[in-house]
Amino acid sequence: MIDSVNVPEVLPSSIPVPSAVISSASYLWFYFITFFKLIPGAHYVIDYVEKSHQDDPYRTFVEVLLILYSIVYFLSKPKKKGAVDQPKLSEKEIDNLIEEWEPEPIVVPDERNEWRLAKIPVIEGSGADNVINITRDNGKEAYASAFNLCSFNFLQLSKHPRVVEIAKEIIKNYGVGSCGPAGFYGNEDVHYNLEYDLASFFGTENSVLYGQDFCVSSSVIPAFTKRGDVIVADDKISVSSQNALQLSRSTVYYYKHNDMASLENLLHELDEAEKKEKLPAIPRKFIVTEGIFHRTGEIAPLPELVQLKRKYKYRLFIDETFSIGVLGATGRGLTEYYNINRATSIDITVGSLATAIGSSGGFVLGDNVMVRHQRIGSNAYCFSASLPPYAVRTASTVLQMMDEDNSSVTKLRYLSNKLHEWFQTDTELLRYIEVTSHRDSSVLHFQLTDAQRQQKFGSSIESVFQESQYQQQHCISDHFVESWEKEEIFLQAIVDTVLIDGNILISRDTIVLKQETLPVTPNISICCNSSMEESQLLDAYNVIRIAIIKHCSEA
Amino acid sequence: MISISSTRVPLIPPEDIPLEDKKENEFGQLTSEEYLYQSKSRDGKALQDPILDAPAYHVSLITYLNYLILIILGHIHDFLGLTFQKEKHKDIMEQDGLAPWFSTFESFYVRRLKQRIDDCFSRPTTGVPGRFIRCLDRVSHNLNDYFTYPGTTSMCLNLSSYNYLGFAQSEGQCTTAALEATDKYGVYSGGPRTRIGTTDLHVMTEKYVAQFVGKEDAILFSMGYGTNANFFNSFLDSKCLVISDSLNHTSIRTGVRLSGAAVKTFKHNDMRALEKLIREQIVQGQSKTHRPWKKIIICVEGLYSMEGTMANLPKLVELKKKYKCYLFVDEAHSIGAMGPSGRGVCDFFGIPCSDIDIMMGTLTKSFGAAGGYIAADKWIIDRFRLDLTTPHYGEPTPAPVLAQIASSLKTITGDINPGEGQERLQRIAFNARYLRLALQRLGFIVYGIADSPVIPMLLYAPSKMPAFSRMMLQRKIAVVVVAYPATPLIESRVRFCVSAALTKEDIDYLLQHINEVGDKLFLKVSSGKAGGSLDGKPPRWNIDEVIKRTPTDCKDDSFFRI
Repeated sequence: MIDSVNVPEVLPSSIPVPSAVISSASYLWFYFITFFKLIPGAHYVIDYVEKSHQDDPYRTFVEVLLILYSIVYFLSKPKKKGAVDQPKLSEKEIDNLIEEWEPEPIVVPDERNEWRLAKIPVIEGSGADNVINITRDNGKEAYASAFNLCSFNFLQLSKHPRVVEIAKEIIKNYGVGSCGPAGFYGNEDVHYNLEYDLASFFGTENSVLYGQDFCVSSSVIPAFTKRGDVIVADDKISVSSQNALQLSRSTVYYYKHNDMASLENLLHELDEAEKKEKLPAIPRKFIVTEGIFHRTGEIAPLPELVQLKRKYKYRLFIDETFSIGVLGATGRGLTEYYNINRATSIDITVGSLATAIGSSGGFVLGDNVMVRHQRIGSNAYCFSASLPPYAVRTASTVLQMMDEDNSSVTKLRYLSNKLHEWFQTDTELLRYIEVTSHRDSSVLHFQLTDAQRQQKFGSSIESVFQESQYQQQHCISDHFVESWEKEEIFLQAIVDTVLIDGNILISRDTIVLKQETLPVTPNISICCNSSMEESQLLDAYNVIRIAIIKHCSEA
Repeated sequence: MISISSTRVPLIPPEDIPLEDKKENEFGQLTSEEYLYQSKSRDGKALQDPILDAPAYHVSLITYLNYLILIILGHIHDFLGLTFQKEKHKDIMEQDGLAPWFSTFESFYVRRLKQRIDDCFSRPTTGVPGRFIRCLDRVSHNLNDYFTYPGTTSMCLNLSSYNYLGFAQSEGQCTTAALEATDKYGVYSGGPRTRIGTTDLHVMTEKYVAQFVGKEDAILFSMGYGTNANFFNSFLDSKCLVISDSLNHTSIRTGVRLSGAAVKTFKHNDMRALEKLIREQIVQGQSKTHRPWKKIIICVEGLYSMEGTMANLPKLVELKKKYKCYLFVDEAHSIGAMGPSGRGVCDFFGIPCSDIDIMMGTLTKSFGAAGGYIAADKWIIDRFRLDLTTPHYGEPTPAPVLAQIASSLKTITGDINPGEGQERLQRIAFNARYLRLALQRLGFIVYGIADSPVIPMLLYAPSKMPAFSRMMLQRKIAVVVVAYPATPLIESRVRFCVSAALTKEDIDYLLQHINEVGDKLFLKVSSGKAGGSLDGKPPRWNIDEVIKRTPTDCKDDSFFRI
């Protein structure tokens, strides 16, 4: 066989080809063909190539080129789109640049707002009690038996001996921590039971538990939204919802606070724009608002929201942190307040177990499909340990007590109404302050009137917002707005006077201006709860009133 | 559609057993002094590059084929379902003008792959997740669409909970402390930390935590995930750069994304890549403007929970100092569980804590409590107290949890029950090393370093995950199986979390069953290059031999590659 290997005739004899090259190439070709033929079905390939070569020799040439090109293309490194070649720097130049670089300190200390640290009350005992002993400023100030108007434990049910007994019983049987995320043996029978209890108490198909109330919104919204989805939000939502919108990747629009005409205009405009665009699939669309607003205490107009959401095909997301346990005859929140069915009106309800219910954690209410998706798509649910069992059982028990007896909700409503009535009918007080909260809110929020703010600090809500936003956009590390700070110090002086003169603890609303992406106003909030007496509240009102007038009437 | 809400999980009453048995079920007594190991500090020595064992090519090929079949079947299922059974697929179709909650494509993996093995996840339990865990029996219906509960339970050996030091107990000093705190402080603190939620117990516990981790001050949060997710926006902005390990936890990524800072990732634990990246970034500066970065933060985890690997701290500290970067270490899994005195990565490597700028950790795992902490110098923490969102808007850590944290910390340091903490630390170190070396000798591929209490064992093919999990459950062992997206696509694995509550005999029981199941599922695929082999050949030891020799061998570093 090997003898038959000859110099191919196609090569011109004028070009000398070393015989070693020719014979080795021929050997290679010979063995390649021999082995190739051993592969089952190889002769079809050979036949095909031979035939096509006979029919059209150029085709073989082109195909060989194509194969070579594809190999070269496959092996070459992809160049990033838009990457610009950087000037080459020598090692020495690089070292010099590194040497020169001076980073900022990890955080920038700023004495101008450190006064806040000294004003944080440290409670000996529980902050949920009505009478508390507190110290401030590392124990330099101490106040015994102060009347507590700061606590969010509106219903005071989790202090009931029955609840405490159950909590202790659970600790004795389950320990404290759950030691695992929900998906990996962290959800115990008590967790599933609370989810069931929440769903049946609020009349939805299902519910999900989260480890901390502040994380819920910012985990739930991003679990459902992606680029191109639309979120229409109230422009006074709190930081947790603001964070959620930031993480949502969606296009966010704001409507004027609680202004349904503004919302309808916006929805109408968006609808028109969408019709023009002719998208391949409709995006997910959400309206985001709060039941009782964290910052102002106003109540969202649910009937109109539901009507608009149905008309424009939006889903409704409501943060009910402050309305659950407060609104409605039995504390079932916004829907009960307006007498609307929750399951068919609000698509996602976010609530907290750490306000009126007085335990820990947060939860989401909604239909089965949404809930099921959260159990795999929501980061704060999947990647975090579940709640301690005792906290879960506490919440279940409180829900059961609310179901059995609504007297604490009724009492709370009565006190809230009274408190608001005193403040809102006090003409002398209203010269200086504006009460923003609704009379049914258990937290009374008041702030300085615009005129007072202008007169005292030469600022307005807009001017503060603009300055703050300017600093945020320019990434100023020591974010500081002087007029805001002055107003906060002024409000703190009122709080201090109330504490020193009347032994009553109220609080500024704790706000981190640096983190707020929407206009916000410094304000003081007063919380009442169902275990207070009307007379106690009235006394407190009188003390607060005098303090406000004293400070505001000073020039 | 029927789901969990329509079948209520029954509340299981506590078992009526003698107190001694209950204690033993939560925390097994030490059976012999020999089964202890005092781990040593590395005195600043860096880790070697890890050797990753890989199986023969056919294993990867089968794994890919496995996915291919599942995906093809899933698509056929989807096609038929969307054509003939529209009623059942309402959730992925448009309805009355509303877009579906999630798209068909995005949810494909979950609907068609994960749902098939849903019975391996979210198993409800009851009681203390200690040495044993009581799993509720359940019956799956309609391909895991929903479950029903006959009301019976199975006591399983617990290899799943993050109960590293065995503090998940309902007896003992920690429980007593938690109960006392419940009496004194109640279950609820009243509101955000800066408003009303700071009690003397918070101040005290923060001091203990700071002392324990070796920093001036610490701040506590009620949720571990939330600690990270709402942390970075307090001190980073879009002119800062975060250099992040590619396997960092979602909470860190969420937190960084919220802050708006630029992020660059480097290959997991690859210190050369990290150095190259830092140099390049300092020179290039911000991506568009090329102005210098305001600051650069390197974010790593102490112990990676899916890999069992550790951050190479000595090298990181060296780089951080050389290039004036800041170092953030998330010690979610390492605090309490690693190091001669349980103080985490610094303790393990023998590096002063002052070399790490910000130490974060969770209290859920080693301490049997809940929540997280951030520790740093006082001037930094003071700033965080003012700028972080959680203390201003979120709930505080409740009192019983604080009491659990404080008492477990004091147990570890020996302030309460001297000796007990040390024993727990020595037990977890022994258990971790014993199980790891034994698995390697049996021929399984495990990842991670010798002392890691997280031991991931590779299963590869996705179909072996449910098989392994179910077979172990039949044998009364609770394990966690994880797959894509938590791991690379073909590296499905089972993760054993070792606890100080386990006895050596528990691990023998576990090994015997893993050995049996491993043979049936063809899981022994290691080549021996990452350890377990004495002669360089693939290790396939006999189980009796392993149990006989490993308890002594595992105390010897020369059997491990670290």
